[in-house]
Amino acid sequence: MSRVGIVSWGAYIPKYRIRTEEVARIWGDDPMRIVDVYLVDEKSVEGFDEDAVTIAVEAARRAIRRAGIDPRRIGAVYAGTESKPYAVKPISSILVDALGLSNNVFAVDMEFACKAGSEGLVAAIGLVESGRVEYGMTVGTDTSQGEPGEHLEYSASSGGAALIVGKDGVVAELEAMYSFVSDTPDFWRREGSPYPMHGEGFTGEPAYFRHIVGAARGLMEKYGYKPSDFTYVVFHQPNGRFPVRAASMLNIPIEKVKPGIVVTHIGNTYNASALMGFAKVLDAARPGDKILLVPFGSGAGSNAFVFTVTDVITERQRAGVPTVEEMLRDKIYVDYAQYLKMRKMIKLFE
Amino acid sequence: MKDVFIAGAALYQAGRHYGKNIDDMAAEILDKALTDAKADIDALFVASSTTELANKQQLLGAYILESLGLDKIPVYRVENGDGSGGAAVALAYHALRSEEHNCVAVVGVDKPNDVLSNQQQDIYATTLDTYFERYFGFTPLSYAALMAKMYLKKYEYKYEDLARWAVLMHSHGVGNPYAYFRRQVKLEDAVNSELVSEPLRLYDVGPLADGAAAVVLCNNKKEGPRILSIATSTNAMAFSSRPEYDILYSLSEAARRAFEKAKITPRDIATAEVHDSFSVFGVLAVESLGLVKRGEALAAIKDGDLPVNLSGGFKSRGNMLGATGVYQIVEVAWQLTGREFKRVDGNYGVVHSMGGVDKISTVVVVGI
Amino acid sequence: MPIYWRNIPHYYRLAARRCKKCGAAHFPPVVRCRCGSTELENVELPHEGRLIEYTVLHQVGTDFLKQKPLIIGLVELSNGVRVTGQIVDAQPDKLTPGTKMEVVFRRVIVDGKHGLVMYGYKFRPVGGI
Repeated sequence: MSRVGIVSWGAYIPKYRIRTEEVARIWGDDPMRIVDVYLVDEKSVEGFDEDAVTIAVEAARRAIRRAGIDPRRIGAVYAGTESKPYAVKPISSILVDALGLSNNVFAVDMEFACKAGSEGLVAAIGLVESGRVEYGMTVGTDTSQGEPGEHLEYSASSGGAALIVGKDGVVAELEAMYSFVSDTPDFWRREGSPYPMHGEGFTGEPAYFRHIVGAARGLMEKYGYKPSDFTYVVFHQPNGRFPVRAASMLNIPIEKVKPGIVVTHIGNTYNASALMGFAKVLDAARPGDKILLVPFGSGAGSNAFVFTVTDVITERQRAGVPTVEEMLRDKIYVDYAQYLKMRKMIKLFE
Repeated sequence: MKDVFIAGAALYQAGRHYGKNIDDMAAEILDKALTDAKADIDALFVASSTTELANKQQLLGAYILESLGLDKIPVYRVENGDGSGGAAVALAYHALRSEEHNCVAVVGVDKPNDVLSNQQQDIYATTLDTYFERYFGFTPLSYAALMAKMYLKKYEYKYEDLARWAVLMHSHGVGNPYAYFRRQVKLEDAVNSELVSEPLRLYDVGPLADGAAAVVLCNNKKEGPRILSIATSTNAMAFSSRPEYDILYSLSEAARRAFEKAKITPRDIATAEVHDSFSVFGVLAVESLGLVKRGEALAAIKDGDLPVNLSGGFKSRGNMLGATGVYQIVEVAWQLTGREFKRVDGNYGVVHSMGGVDKISTVVVVGI
Repeated sequence: MPIYWRNIPHYYRLAARRCKKCGAAHFPPVVRCRCGSTELENVELPHEGRLIEYTVLHQVGTDFLKQKPLIIGLVELSNGVRVTGQIVDAQPDKLTPGTKMEVVFRRVIVDGKHGLVMYGYKFRPVGGI
């Protein structure tokens, strides 16, 4: 048995996409300018019969299939999302029955804007490391909404990523973990409100950058890492510009960040954003690679993890489970009207 | 055991009867049938598919009798989906054969037009497995479409060949005063009609219509059309598990038993009223009854006429759901005797009343 | 909601019933096998199969009015058991008997604004079309 780490990963991106230029066409924005500011060409759109729950199930099923373990050995399941169909009723319990987990499982849904799935990873690590459970799973899933006509709409998208944590058959060993949290109101959504509010520029410096850099730098200083130690660095991706700037602020060469970028093609999948970038990297990583993973959630906070890839990864990469690359290519375009219908944004009078 | 005769009958014109309550409509027609039979009944069997779901009326028979002021008569409500009519006739027949009663009436009534079209689909879908088929949005139409698609491929027919069924039904229905649609249709109309579940189009679907029919059966008469045999059979295979999709299993078995009991063969049949709720079911019924060889029904109607659904069938006479089985018995009896219909040349007629997608079939052999 | 809840093993995990005596698997589940035995155990059906036939349904019931047309297919799973289900994420003219299908987990019915969201299995062509 090795140290605690990632045993398996799985991701799911709905097939449908809408191009930035199509959204811009409706709201009178200059598409070239929007693409330039956010570096998002198109975003993923969930089908009419999909939601954060169905996406979580698909991502988790893939992780379990890749792991090749009996789902009943999973002792804890965490669902992190900010687009639940229910204000009260957990996704994690639906996962128990959809995945065939044992009833004797620790389960909870978590909320910390985009960081909830990542905190699920922390919790899973805790229970596994302490020996309380054999395997733990976290799923970050979202069908995030932006107010139509508002800039967030260009990036708010849908997707899910799941990680299974354990000590046996680890593909990426955990070396270090760090956090940076403060009360920073950059982005929020009140109870009963359909769309979030955000502070535009305020979401940058005081929020994303302060906490991402705070967590990454804090980890590097505490544990003695240098940027050159890492093969890959994966940041939370609200758009295509922020991760690039974060890298430069931390003196991390952009080539290490590029492989984990998915936002340009699918937008910001919120709780699945950093985790999906991580999954994409795991699809291609080689034994010995070191990965720095820095998710972020508004409100605000960031985690930082360092993983070292083991020999086991090669066999897991060949498990016949769809890779993030394959999912990025598997797409059908929709227009704005289909987009509204699929996202259940057309309100009927009752 | 005594023989069972058809002593009297009455049919409501199929259509949209927005002005009639379900019990009153049934009572009116039962009254007409009793007058026609010049008999009193000592039991009433009620066939309906939608009385509870569309009209929220249980105990329908009691309210029909209330509307007629007929007290103390036993009433039994029979439900086999859209095959309720045949089933009710079967139970009435058995009650008379057992000599428990002397004269009974069977009333079939359904008012699908009391609800909206999507609600009609909801109700019709309750003839499918409610947990594993209706829940997922399947309807009898979608299953008929799958069967039609497979049939056309297997026997190498074009859609146009299937569309001929509608044309044939309408050409028969012109002569039926009680039919919903009494006009000819052209093949182009059928072929160009709206797709409802590909490859099936609007003209492949029997239109749902309000209707009521009553027949009086007695075992103390000596003349008139006689029920020679009845058999009911169930296909206990789930749709997804059936070995083949070009047989109506429930009908095959019911027909085999009914023909054996009546000592007739398909060649003896002068008229058959079959359950073409969807065109493909009519086609398969003709084959499963043994009137033509498997796979040949569409070729047969391409070249000529068939003495099938002289009433116009579900397509032209209408689909009155549970009530239709009672219509069919009356139609066959009147075709054999030349009442309201042109008299057919022969002594035997067959009724096929089916519930759901080949779930339950009742076959009645009528003779003069 | 008991009606939905008790069918969760079937809707979520395609729990079928297999006869301990003769090995036949039944879906929808049954109480008695054709061989006569009532000793049945739960078995979960595989998530892959091939399309046998499909139709595109336009006349749908109330719960599906906003989702029409529905594609409904008969699929043979890799263990020989056949299941009917909706087909999603597909263009009908690209579907054909023999197309590889996989099971997906989707919303089936949503009970209005305040009621339950009910899930279940559907099918989707593998490899994207």
